[in-house]
Order: sequence, then C-alpha cells, then structure tokens
Amino acid sequence: MIKKILYSLLFSSIVVMALETGEQLPKNIQEQLKLEPNKVYVVDFFASWCKSCKKELPLVNKIYQEKVVEVVAVNVDKNREDGEALVKELNLTFPVVYDQDKSLVKSFDPLGFPAIYYIQNGKVLHVIFGAVDEIDKKITEDIKSIK
Amino acid sequence: MKKLLIMAIIASLFMGCSLVKEVKPWEKETLAKPIMQFGGLHPEVNKFESHVYFSKEASRGGSGVAGGGCGCN
Repeated sequence: MIKKILYSLLFSSIVVMALETGEQLPKNIQEQLKLEPNKVYVVDFFASWCKSCKKELPLVNKIYQEKVVEVVAVNVDKNREDGEALVKELNLTFPVVYDQDKSLVKSFDPLGFPAIYYIQNGKVLHVIFGAVDEIDKKITEDIKSIK
Repeated sequence: MKKLLIMAIIASLFMGCSLVKEVKPWEKETLAKPIMQFGGLHPEVNKFESHVYFSKEASRGGSGVAGGGCGCN
C-alpha cells in the first residue's frame, strides 16, 4: 500500500491546461460573458499595455459594427480605469467585461496576448494568440467557414 | 522499500524547483512599462554616452554599439 502511494507521489504532477479548441466553457464563465445560445462569439482578451491589442481592437470593433460577428471583450488591466480609458480612446462599442478578479482569464489561460476565442454554445471553435495583420479580414474569413 | 523512500524524498525535494511561479501573459503589465526596456526610459541617452566615450578614447566596441567603419563619425 505504502509502495503504491510512494509510486503515485513520484509520478504525479499538477498540470494546468489552457482552454483549447473543442473544449467546453464552464457554465459560470458563459454566464459571466453573457453568451447567448447558437450565436458565434469572438471573445477578445486585451489590456491597455498591450500594443498589439491597441492595433487590433479598432479592427475588431469595425467587424462588430458591420455585424459580421458578436464580440465580447475581456479587459485584464490591474486598474479598471486603464481599461475604461482605452475603450473610450478607441471608441469601442462592443460589450466589455472587466475581469478584476482575473477569474475569466485564469479559466481560459491564454498563452499570449491578444487572445481571441471563437465560441458557440459554450464550445471553443478556434483560438488565435498574438498579433495578426488585418485581423478583421481573418475573423471574417473564419466566421464564413464556421457558418 | 528503503530505496524507494529515498527516491521519493529526493523527488519531493526537486518538486520544490517547479514551484517557481510562472509569469502569465496577463501579469506582464509591469514588464510592459517603458521603464522596463533595455537601457531604461531613454535608451538614446546610452547611445549618446557611448558616442562620447568612443570619441574621447578613440576606441569602440564591446559595449554593444554598432560600428560601421565608414569613417563618418
């Protein structure tokens, strides 16, 4: 018995995995993001200190206004005011969730910023990490292929 | 049994090494500040200081400043 416990201790380790394509979002996270059923959402994680986010957000806002896709952005700034200032500066019109306790970003555990997740009915359809040139065109193409 | 126990103790000691906390992408706010960049807030000041140094000492190199050898300095 002790031998078994010792062996399990030797070969066990705690591994935290990032949310990947095909995985399901927990119900409480879906509620926090206010995701409606059947709609395809782009969940965009951003911060005011992330230069690539600043470049991408106006393009994401453009496709949101053109009704290409539903967008929910998640701000991960330490100070909510910094995130709000960026939203105001860039005139972003999509809904923004301020993740003050970092519960959302910890559940998604993205590998880099900006991080974009395509989500439908709580399921992750696709993930994009890092800066992408012409993200608006990329998202439009991806949404076409999803629909 | 004794061997296994020693192995478990050594492994648990090494497991301590993995407890160093990884900096997650959303925790890099401070690292992203301009003050954190190489050369501080004004890296151009460092460049200027290097220029003064190699002009006075008639030598350059070893400080990471690029030298072209065009004789235009």
